[in-house]
Amino acid sequence: MMRSDAGAMTTQAAAAAEPARTAGKTAGNMDRAGADASAVSGPTGAADKAEAAVAVVATGTGASAGAAPTGTASAPSRRGLAPRAKSALIQAGLILAPFAAFGVFLLVYGVSPIDLYVSMFKSAFGNRYGFGEVLIKATPILLTGLAAALPARAGMINVGGEGQLAIGALAATGAAVTLLAAAPAWLGIPAMLLAGALGGAVWAGITALLRVKGNMNETITSLLLNYVAFYTVGLFVHGPLKDPASFNWPFSPPIADALRLPVLTGSRLHMGIAVAVLLAAAIWWVLARTRIGFRVRVLGANAFAAERAGFRVSRMQVLVLLAAGAIAGVAGMIEIAGIEGRLRPTTGANYGYLGFLAAWMAWNHPLRLVATSFLLGMIAVAGNSLEMNSGLPSSSVHILMALVLIFLLAGGRIGRGRRA
Amino acid sequence: MIADILTGAVRSGTSVLFATQGELISERAGVINLGTEGAMLAGAFAGFATTVWTGSPWLGALAGGIGGMLLALLHAYLVISRGANQLATGLTLMFLGMGLTSFFGRKFVSESIVGFNPVPIPLLSDIPFVGPILFNHDPLTYVSFALVPLIGFLLFRTRLGVIIRASGEREDALFASGMNPKLVRYGAVLAGGFLAGLGGAQLSIAYTHSWVENMTAGRGIVAVALVIFAAWKPLRAAIGAWLFGAAQALQLTVQQQGYPISPYFLFMAPYLITLIALLAVEYRKRSRIPEGLGKVFTGSPGGAG
Repeated sequence: MMRSDAGAMTTQAAAAAEPARTAGKTAGNMDRAGADASAVSGPTGAADKAEAAVAVVATGTGASAGAAPTGTASAPSRRGLAPRAKSALIQAGLILAPFAAFGVFLLVYGVSPIDLYVSMFKSAFGNRYGFGEVLIKATPILLTGLAAALPARAGMINVGGEGQLAIGALAATGAAVTLLAAAPAWLGIPAMLLAGALGGAVWAGITALLRVKGNMNETITSLLLNYVAFYTVGLFVHGPLKDPASFNWPFSPPIADALRLPVLTGSRLHMGIAVAVLLAAAIWWVLARTRIGFRVRVLGANAFAAERAGFRVSRMQVLVLLAAGAIAGVAGMIEIAGIEGRLRPTTGANYGYLGFLAAWMAWNHPLRLVATSFLLGMIAVAGNSLEMNSGLPSSSVHILMALVLIFLLAGGRIGRGRRA
Repeated sequence: MIADILTGAVRSGTSVLFATQGELISERAGVINLGTEGAMLAGAFAGFATTVWTGSPWLGALAGGIGGMLLALLHAYLVISRGANQLATGLTLMFLGMGLTSFFGRKFVSESIVGFNPVPIPLLSDIPFVGPILFNHDPLTYVSFALVPLIGFLLFRTRLGVIIRASGEREDALFASGMNPKLVRYGAVLAGGFLAGLGGAQLSIAYTHSWVENMTAGRGIVAVALVIFAAWKPLRAAIGAWLFGAAQALQLTVQQQGYPISPYFLFMAPYLITLIALLAVEYRKRSRIPEGLGKVFTGSPGGAG
């Protein structure tokens, strides 16, 4: 009924808009690392480099029509050096602007932004301990970021890193306090890692199954499952996994000392960060240099082409989501074995969402993700110093984070960088 | 006990109902707004704070709607004018809503208000069984009863409805007939934000009578999911919202009756029921998604994404 109403209005304008839209699709679906997939999707491969510039120019009529011609038109000019420098400047501005805006917000609240940023900077880089804290925060953000970036490259949106991390932590703790209670480190730590990865993969598997068999959008299901995961952890720490010696506090018994990750002296920094960076490098390599990675990128750039090329799309989607869940599950295990030592209801809270945002700021590029996770880790540590130095609630860090993202979104670079 | 659960279903489902109706308008116009969660939080906080200051829950409800609308305005600007990714923008606004409300809401955590209280409708509320379930609620709930047919009428029986749906299905057609699809979308997203904010306000002013950090606890996300579950039909979305409410009411009832079920199973029940309902609908047949909205999911950058 709806369609017939709208259809009655259709005129030639619709037909005329069609080529422009197709061009837009091609440009939008490509990304920098995906440039070599141009065999599939057309010649406008690296249009994204020009996108920061595009964003400034793009004020076209319909958003659909506006994006496409500008993207195509600026493609030749980006071969020169000057536009590249200009776009770098714009990108730098987009990163700095939210800090300025947040500064104004702080001024209104009677806090000097300069002092605050200096103290934030000092708390992050002033000494070994502070720097270690930043890396500790960056580790789960990087891992859950990978759990969002990898599916994004395959054209899926996994916002379930939060729940996958929680279930990974649950599985790792469960294994550690039961089967591995007396295991030596060389056996126990890898086994615990495996348990965590398995837990995360199972949780992501639900989303994957619903996507492939039930035809349900993975964004919605993975988000809803985050809440289910949160209460599942609650169920366990109030029930079967509750520490009998805890005087009714909801947490699991501590894991054995042998299962704790080795720590760098003078800080709380553990080897988790090395695991995370290695995983990021591995995923970059797979995506950029291998046949499988190429297929994943083709799937993300043009699912229709992938299907026509005979890829088993559903199977690939399931595998990618399982891998993503496993990575997020590893983050959960690292939180337990590296930092917390026992499972609490709020273990790893918010890291999943931070990781998603880090991935999106990095345009789902695994190596750039290392940098953005570090940045978000820094802001997260700064949240603590915000609370201590200026009496601002730590929730104000959410505001800063949202500002950073809003400026990036308004810059227009991101929307086309990830294929949602 | 069944009457208790049904009454509770309406009572705690109302906030979600408002949000679903708002999201439905917005999605019919081709914009999905995951920021509904943030808009609900903004509404819950703005409504509560205004009620504390003025003592008037009606002003509070209005402020709640406006609070939700302001966040939706940001969503509309980023998505419609800047062509930003809809899902990512929605999540960002969810964070912004969380951050702003817990930042400014700190002082209000211990405040208490009179707010809206149940007003039994004379005669109707005396009907056995049905009376107390439907006709003994706060005024905003009665508003929500009227809202559902109103939105159905607006979308499917008026010219404005055709325009809104056309902007979600074929914006080119709308453009060709001399209208500005962007403007229509702005309107729809703002209306959606207002209703989400109103839903949030209902939660804080009429349901809990208090402000707690992050008090919507995913209701906005559930609302977005329910709209899809409802195949973009207002009455079905309302039923979904009451179903979510029923799951919450069930949780309270079971706890009061002292059944030996872990409360955590019951906490997750509303989300699981939403998921299962979604699955049931999708499994039967692929529901027809507004064409412009479909692009958000399939990844075409066009106007929708």
